[in-house]
Amino acid sequence: MMVGLLPGAVDRRGAEARRLRVAEVRAEMVANVWQVVASEGDSVADGDTLVVLESMKMEIPVLAEAAGTVTKLAVAEGDVVQEGDLIAVIE
Amino acid sequence: MPSSSDRGRPGGGPADTGGPAGTGGWPGWAGPVLPVGLRGSVRAKVTEADTAAAMGSGDVPVLATPRLLALAEAATVAAAAPGLPAVFTSVGTSVTLEHRRASLPGAEIEVEAELTEVDGQRLVFSFIARAADTEQDVVIGAGTVERVVVDRARFLARAAQNPAVDRG
Repeated sequence: MMVGLLPGAVDRRGAEARRLRVAEVRAEMVANVWQVVASEGDSVADGDTLVVLESMKMEIPVLAEAAGTVTKLAVAEGDVVQEGDLIAVIE
Repeated sequence: MPSSSDRGRPGGGPADTGGPAGTGGWPGWAGPVLPVGLRGSVRAKVTEADTAAAMGSGDVPVLATPRLLALAEAATVAAAAPGLPAVFTSVGTSVTLEHRRASLPGAEIEVEAELTEVDGQRLVFSFIARAADTEQDVVIGAGTVERVVVDRARFLARAAQNPAVDRG
C-alpha cells in the first residue's frame, strides 16, 4: 500500500506540542472491498488488518503500516477501489 | 478421457511455507509457495464430444479451442499438485492460447505444462500441446496459464458470498 507520512497539524496546546503523523492508506490495485475489518475510532497497531480486498480471485489484506487511530475509513464492503484510491487514514 | 501425470520434483512438497514470497507482489500470503520448474502433463484422445461443433464454440468437427484450454489447465493443475497440501488448490485467473493446428476425432494429444514464475500465491505456467500419435514433433498449440493458490474451503465460502450480480 502507499502510505504518505504528511506533516500533520501541530498541537496548539503549548510547550508540549508535538507533530501528529498522518498516514494515508491507499489501494495498490483495482479491487473489490471484500471485508472492512477496522472501524473509525479504532486504535490499531502496525501490521493490523484494516480491510481485505479481493482481486484476481485472491484475498489481499490491507495492513496498517503505523500504529495510531483510524480517523477515516473511506471504503465500504462491496465498493470497487481503483489504484491509488484512499482506503483509510491513520493518525 | 484424459489421463494426467505429474512429474514434480521427488518429494516435492511446498518449498516454503513461510511468509510471502518476498517479491512484494501480493502481501500477506502465508500459504505454500511453489518452486519454479514443477511440471505436469495430460494426454487425451479427441472424441466427438471434444469438437467445436459439439461444444458450441464453433461449427466444425475438430478439437475445440476451449477443450484444448481445459487440457492445458489440467496439465497446470497436475504440475502444481505435488506442491500443494490438500487444503489448498489453485484457480485460473488468466490465459493466453495459440491453437495452431486442427485435430480430428481420434487424434491423440499430450499437453505439458511447466511452472515458470512464482510470486507468492501467483503462479505462471507455460504449456505446449503436441500430437501424441506420431513420431514427428507436431505442435498443436501453446500458451500460458496464470493461477493463484487459494485455501479451498475459504475460496468456496467467499465465492458463495459473492453473488454474480455484484461482480460488476
